[in-house]
Amino acid sequence: MREQNTLLSAPLTFNWTLSFRCNFSCSHCYSREEQVPELSLAELKQVVDILRQKQVPFINFGGGEPLIRPDLYDLAGYATAQGLNVSMNSNGWLLDAGAAEKVKAAGFKSVGISIDSAEAGLHDEFRCMPGSFDRATAALQHLASAGIRTTMSAVISRINFRQFRELLQLAREHEVKQVYLHNFKCSGRGFQNREELDLTPEEWKDFYREALEVKQETDDLSISFDDPVIASLPGYDADPLVKGSSCGKLSLHLRPNGDITPCGFIPLVVGNILRDDFDTLWNESPLLLKMRTKEAKGKCVGCGAYEDCLGGCTARAFAETGDFSEPDPHCWK
Amino acid sequence: MKPKRNPDVIWRHEQRREQQLLEAAERGEDISEGGTVILVVNGTMHQLNLLGGEIWRRCDGETELAAIVQEIGAEYEVAAEELEQDVREFLVDLQQRGWVTDA
Ligand code: SF4
Repeated sequence: MREQNTLLSAPLTFNWTLSFRCNFSCSHCYSREEQVPELSLAELKQVVDILRQKQVPFINFGGGEPLIRPDLYDLAGYATAQGLNVSMNSNGWLLDAGAAEKVKAAGFKSVGISIDSAEAGLHDEFRCMPGSFDRATAALQHLASAGIRTTMSAVISRINFRQFRELLQLAREHEVKQVYLHNFKCSGRGFQNREELDLTPEEWKDFYREALEVKQETDDLSISFDDPVIASLPGYDADPLVKGSSCGKLSLHLRPNGDITPCGFIPLVVGNILRDDFDTLWNESPLLLKMRTKEAKGKCVGCGAYEDCLGGCTARAFAETGDFSEPDPHCWK
Repeated sequence: MKPKRNPDVIWRHEQRREQQLLEAAERGEDISEGGTVILVVNGTMHQLNLLGGEIWRRCDGETELAAIVQEIGAEYEVAAEELEQDVREFLVDLQQRGWVTDA
């Protein structure tokens, strides 16, 4: 019960999906098949009021494509005026010079652009959108010119795991400060296409070994993984605040209708931010309690890495087995 | 010296954790590792222990170091002379990290 005993008063980050709509149709997307009613701007602002009251310092808009909602700028401006730190992840298609200025005016602290391959053709094919690579890299330039800090996100899969160094180089060329190499999550379309896209556990191990080495040698770029299954590898930097998955402990996810899920990849609803008392959900939700108090199962029993890893990514274990506590299917042990 | 928090450091006072740590201290447990203030610096999380948190919360750019020592000493019933060295060392560390400046 240690995790529950040291639980923070509220999450530090809300990952917020304003809409599942998107102008792209990517093969690994977790959300493309979903349809839910969306909140009005007035309701979205009420949500911001709750987050401010609960002292949640960070909002990260994701999606769907956040810029699909034209009132994103209003909402972000409202949130920054209340002292929240706002960022977003976008595919970059709609981020021209004018949009970058609006992003700046709304007070965004940083914007992440998704780029899955340094090869334009491969990125476009993966995202099923000709020209998307050029628009994404142009977006990075527009944002940099407007003085916005940029990050780059790539979902690691079969198409890019051997070429991650090229992605880092691409980031440098576009003045990007931080690169997120996201682990592949088996939900939504990613689950349907997993045979084609997911690596084997051995390949994951090799990828992470190499990527952790590169991370340690790199000082001009911050490289992030956010994957607890790497806890057994040399160079792993344990999170000072939580062990294992950070979902439901440091962060929560909001769906377009205000429903809260532990993360974007676990389709189980904890409650609704506008209808339910937030403190009760955060402190007492049986779902969150279960995620925070996992018990070692299967090969995790007796594993030396368990204290830091806690069975790896809870979302992946749940997608494969329906059980939070089963070992992460990416684990190579 | 009037220590002032760097506004780029995002932070939150964790009152419930602080309460739990104070109760643990009453029971004689070691609480030096427990965090009461969470800091996020360039995306990296850190936590400050009970004394660190008490100091951090007073780094408003208006309170003199001596007053910080006095206040904390009074709250925890510790003599200012005993505290001063610890507070100074902690602030030097924060200054070196760029999280605090002298207003
Ligand atoms: S066996 Fe379990 S605890 Fe050990 S590394 Fe694999 S997932 Fe993590």
